[in-house]
Amino acid sequence: MQNVHIHILANGLTVLLKPMHTAPVITSWLWYRVGSRNEGSGRTGISHWVEHMLFKGTPDYPQGTIDRLIERNGGYLNGFTSRDYTAYYETLPADRITLALQIEADRMINTVFDADEVERERTVILAELEGYANHPATWLDEAVNAAAFTVHPYHNPVIGYACDLHAITRADLYQHYQTYYMPNNAVLVLVGDFDPDALLATVVDLFGALPAGPPIPPVHAVEPEPQGERRLTIRRPGAAEYVQIGYLTPDCHHSDFGPLLVLNAVLSGARSLSGGGVPTNRSARLYKALTETQLATGVYSVYMPSRDPYLFELGAAVRQEHQAAEIESVLLHEITRIQDEGITDEELARVHKQMRAQLAYGSESVTNQARMLGTWAMLDSHTRAATLLDELAAVQVADVQRVACTYLTEQRRVVGTFVPLADAAANLEQDAAA
Amino acid sequence: MSYPTASLTRTLRHTLNNGLTVLIYPTPDVPVVSVRGDLLVGAVHEPDEQLAGLAVFTAAALIRGTQRRSFQQITAEIEARGCSASVNAGMHTTNFSGKALPEDLPLVLELLAELLRQPTFPPHELDKLRGQYLMSLRESEQDTRYRASQALRELLFPVAHPYRRFASGTAESLKQISRADLVRFHQHYHPTSSTIVIVGAVEPEDVLRRLDQHFGDWQGTTPTPTLAPELPPVPPLSAIRREDVVLSGKVQTDIYWAVPGLRRTDPDFYAALIGNMVLGQFGMGGRLWHAVRERQGMAYSVSSGLEAGFGAGPWLAYAGVNPHNVERAIAAVLAELALFVEQGCTLEEVDDVRAYLTGSLALGLETTGGIASTLLSIERFGLGLDYLDRYPALIHAVTLDEINAVARRYLTLDRYVLATAGPPASAG
Repeated sequence: MQNVHIHILANGLTVLLKPMHTAPVITSWLWYRVGSRNEGSGRTGISHWVEHMLFKGTPDYPQGTIDRLIERNGGYLNGFTSRDYTAYYETLPADRITLALQIEADRMINTVFDADEVERERTVILAELEGYANHPATWLDEAVNAAAFTVHPYHNPVIGYACDLHAITRADLYQHYQTYYMPNNAVLVLVGDFDPDALLATVVDLFGALPAGPPIPPVHAVEPEPQGERRLTIRRPGAAEYVQIGYLTPDCHHSDFGPLLVLNAVLSGARSLSGGGVPTNRSARLYKALTETQLATGVYSVYMPSRDPYLFELGAAVRQEHQAAEIESVLLHEITRIQDEGITDEELARVHKQMRAQLAYGSESVTNQARMLGTWAMLDSHTRAATLLDELAAVQVADVQRVACTYLTEQRRVVGTFVPLADAAANLEQDAAA
Repeated sequence: MSYPTASLTRTLRHTLNNGLTVLIYPTPDVPVVSVRGDLLVGAVHEPDEQLAGLAVFTAAALIRGTQRRSFQQITAEIEARGCSASVNAGMHTTNFSGKALPEDLPLVLELLAELLRQPTFPPHELDKLRGQYLMSLRESEQDTRYRASQALRELLFPVAHPYRRFASGTAESLKQISRADLVRFHQHYHPTSSTIVIVGAVEPEDVLRRLDQHFGDWQGTTPTPTLAPELPPVPPLSAIRREDVVLSGKVQTDIYWAVPGLRRTDPDFYAALIGNMVLGQFGMGGRLWHAVRERQGMAYSVSSGLEAGFGAGPWLAYAGVNPHNVERAIAAVLAELALFVEQGCTLEEVDDVRAYLTGSLALGLETTGGIASTLLSIERFGLGLDYLDRYPALIHAVTLDEINAVARRYLTLDRYVLATAGPPASAG
C-alpha cells in the first residue's frame, strides 16, 4: 500500500490519492466519522437513516437522479453505515470520476431531507430491520452485543431499535446530518487510473469552498472492566441451536491488536480486512475441533479493528445430534489450549503467509484498496494499511499466548445460546416426514 | 460518448491434445493469479429425481480425498500458502476455481488436476460432508427466501423438469446418495467438455507446460461426455397459480412473481436483458424499486431477475415486505408490470441502460477474477474472444420496439406464478 498522496484542505477535509493504472477505472470513497458509536439512547439507527437520506437528493440532484447518473455513466455506487463510520462510494470508468466528486461535494451539505421522503424511508428501514430479524442468528448477535456493552453505545445495533425508528423525526435526522457531515469530519479516498495533481485540483475546486464546522461531539463512553461472565439464552422458532461467545478486547490502537489478529487467524484462518480474500479456515483449529468432529457447522471466530474496545467472538451452529453446551465447552477448550500451550512457530508462519496473500487479493481492485485505506483512516491512520504486515511480523508466539490469557477470560466473556422453540422443531419433523 | 476500451482479444486460446480448452490472459502488473474453469456436467445430468443433489455432492466430495492426499493434507497445503482450490456444481456445469500468488500457481494447478481426476471419495469423509449438507438444508427449510423461491419453481416447472428443484437436492435425496453413485457420476467428467481460464502475472508458455503436465494425459472415462441434455418442455401457463408458505417466527414475508423466461442463446436475449434492467435493475432496482420502495416505502429489497443460462429459467420479480403489506405489495408489483407491458419502456430508459451496459464493461475487468469469469462465460456460450469489442454494437442494435415486444410476449399478466413465504397471515 505504497504511493499514497495525502492532502488536508483548509476546511479540514483529508484527501488520500493513490494512483493505480492496472485498469481504466477510478473509485471515490467519502468517509465520515459517524456511526452507531455516536448515537444516544432513543436515537439508535439515526446514522444509518441519515445515510439512506443522502440518496434522496439535493436541489441540484433531485430524488432519483444520483443512482441514475452514476449507473448511466457505467458506474456503481452504494453507501453503508457501521459502528464507527459511514461511507459512500462510486466506482466509475476513469474519465467519469468528476461526476462522483460533484455529487459527494453537493450532498455533504445540500441534502434536502424532504419530510415525505423521510416518512417513506422510515418504513423502508423498518423493512430492512425485519429482513435481518427473519434470521435467528440476528437475534442472538444483538443479544450478545447488548449484554457485552452496558455503557458504551456498541450496545446498540447499527440498524437501530424499531421503537426508535418509529420515533425519530425529520428534525432529529437533519440535526444529526448537520452535526457530523462537514469536511473536517470526513476523509475522501481516491484510488485508480489518474494523475494525482490533476485530480487533486478537481477535488480542491469542488470541495475547497465547503465550510468547516465545529468539532464533533466527543464520545466519552468507556466500557468498564466486566465483573464476571454474562450468559443469555434466546428462545425463538429456528432450525438449530447456535452458540456465540464474545470477549471484550482492545481496539486497533492497542499494542495487543497484532497478537489478537494472529490469535484469530490461528483459530479460523487469516482473512482480508477489505474483501477479495479466500477462505483459509479448514486447516485452522476451530474447524478441526468442531466441524471435522461433526459437532457443528458454520464455525467461526472474528476479531476486527475498531475505534473503541469491541469483541473477539467465536461461534457455531450446533448439529442436530448435539447440544449447545457441548459446543460451548469445545470452543472454550480450544481457547484454554492456547492459554496453556501457546501456538506453534509453524502456525505463526502460516498466518504471515496467509495474510500476505489475502492482502494481495484485497489490493487487486481499486474499490477494495480504497475501502482498506479509508477504514484505517477512520479508525486510526491510513498508514496502517501499509504497515499491517510489519505489525504482524513483529508478533511472537509468546505474545499470542499472552493475549489469549489476558483477554479471553471467563470474566470478560458473554456466552449466548439460541435455542429453537419446540413447536418449530415439531413442524420441521412433520415437513421431513411428509 | 467514448468509453475506455474493454477488450480481451489478446487472450491466448489453446486446445490440449485431449480436448481441454485453455484460455490464458496475462496481467503482468497484478501480483495475483485467478483460475476459473468448468465442465459441462451438472444437476441436469443426474439419473433421476431420487438422486437430486448428486452433481453438487460429487463436486464437493472431490476435495475430501485423492489418490495422493487426504482432505486434511489438501487443506493444510493449500491454506498454508493462502491460496484456494475448489470445485462446486450447479444446474448445468461443474465449476472449479483457484486463487494464488504467482509463486503458488503450480500447487493450485496440481491440486485442481488431482481433485478433478483422482478423487477417492473416502466413506467417512462422505458422511461428514452429508451431515454438513443436511444441516445446511435444515437451515434453508426455515429461510423465507429459500422457501418462496422453491415454491415458485414447483409452480413454474413440470414434475420431470430439473429446474423444479434446486441443484443442492433435498434431505431425502441426500440421504439416498451412495458412494457408488458419486463414483459413477464422476465418470461424466471429461476433458472435451472442460475449459480452464488462467488470468494473472503468468508466462503463458510456463502455464501451458504445467497444464500439459497435469491435465495432458487426462482421457476421461466415458468415450464421449454427456453434453447438455434436452430439457423437458415447459407447458405454457394457463392461469394464475399461487402458493403461500407459512413459517413461524418470521417478521417479514418474501414474495416472488414469475413467468417462464428464455435461454442465454435465445434471439430475444438482449431485448429481455435491457427490458429487465429497466423493470427491476437499473438505478438500484429499476421501476419496481421506484414504485415499491421509493414511492410507497414498502420494501428494502425489491428487484427483478432474468435467469437466462443454458436453459430458460424464470423471469422473476422479488420483494421482501412486512406481513401486513403482502397483498398491497403484490398489487403494486402487478401494477408496475402492467404499466411496463402496456406502455413499454421509454427511449430515455433504454438509453440509460445501454449506456450502463456498455460503460460498465471496464469495471468487470478490474480484477483477475473478473477477467477470468468473463472469459469463461464467453467460451461457454461461444461468444468469441472479440465479444466485448462487439458488445456495444450488440446492445445498440436492439430497438425500443423489440424490447417492448419481448416484454409483452413474456410478461403475461393473466398467466403467472406467485409464491410467498412468511409468518401466518395474522402475525407480524
